[in-house]
Amino acid sequence: MWLPLLFLIIGLALGFLSDIQIPDAYSNYLSIAVLAAFDTLFGGIRAQLEKNFDDIVFITGFFFNVSLAAVLAFIGVQLGVDLYLAAVFAFGIRLFQNLAIIRRLIIDQKLLIKIRKK
Amino acid sequence: MKKQSKWMVGLVCLFAGFMVAVQFQTTAGEPEIRDTRDEWEVREALVKQQDVQQELLQKISEADQTIENYEEKSSAEQVAALKKSIEKLEKKVGLTEVEGEGVSIEISAIFIENIEGVQAYPAVTPQLLSRLLNELNTFGADEISIGNERITSLSPVRDVNGSTYVNNRPFPPLPVQIKVLTDQPEKLRDYIHASQSKEIFNIENLDLQAEVKEELTLPKYDDPLHLKIFKEIGE
Repeated sequence: MWLPLLFLIIGLALGFLSDIQIPDAYSNYLSIAVLAAFDTLFGGIRAQLEKNFDDIVFITGFFFNVSLAAVLAFIGVQLGVDLYLAAVFAFGIRLFQNLAIIRRLIIDQKLLIKIRKK
Repeated sequence: MKKQSKWMVGLVCLFAGFMVAVQFQTTAGEPEIRDTRDEWEVREALVKQQDVQQELLQKISEADQTIENYEEKSSAEQVAALKKSIEKLEKKVGLTEVEGEGVSIEISAIFIENIEGVQAYPAVTPQLLSRLLNELNTFGADEISIGNERITSLSPVRDVNGSTYVNNRPFPPLPVQIKVLTDQPEKLRDYIHASQSKEIFNIENLDLQAEVKEELTLPKYDDPLHLKIFKEIGE
């Protein structure tokens, strides 16, 4: 539990300390990559709670989602259509779904523990 | 959870954290615009604004005076006041002849005995002319006329089928007189002799000669003014 958190903090610190700024033209790509990363993370947590976590699926999902989102945004820029919105939309919906399922799973587990205690 | 997968989740978290931090810096790290003027510059700006205010107040009082004239006086006097306003405005726009001291500039062709080939007769392009007009206005010209054409604020300088047109009439053949009325003719003449325009005219085989004249008469602008595109700017 503490390891991912520690790495998250290390990553944040690295980002803030390195003082990198992405040019305006590429900020779309980064925002979509961030969304993809969060989507994968929450997907991973959900899979862990459902006890079907697989690290190959997890790691490939992360890189595949990030690159697919970037490619979609790139094609969108070339075509003049805001295709990156499609990715934002899809990731947003999945984020909420995953969060809802995680919440239910946690509640269920706690209820189960309570029932067993009784 | 296996140890390997823990590390993988950690790695992804590292990436995610890094990207979030960079994104945050990109959106939040835009440099704020700071006021770097020192006291002296602020004071200068203040003086400038006060001048503007003074000017505006003066304009307001003039307008008030005109309104008063309209309201207080009898109908004959009202007509007189109206006529006076019209005259004043016509003079301002350039619909009347004006006299005064100023500078007369002559644009003439420079002929160099050419060694080979025939030298083309130089022409004044609209770009050159506009540039000269802009420079004259910067140097403090009040009224300008080119040949027989009075320059008003609506006067176009255009290229029509390869020849230069001023006020929708062709630019007369060289040499051409440009008359400029100004308060400080000597200064304007010196400016012209040291100006960039003169150099650029010289490159185009044209010569600019300016001389101060005590008495200059500028022709009036006698075409109808096209005011279709004018709009009220509100109060």
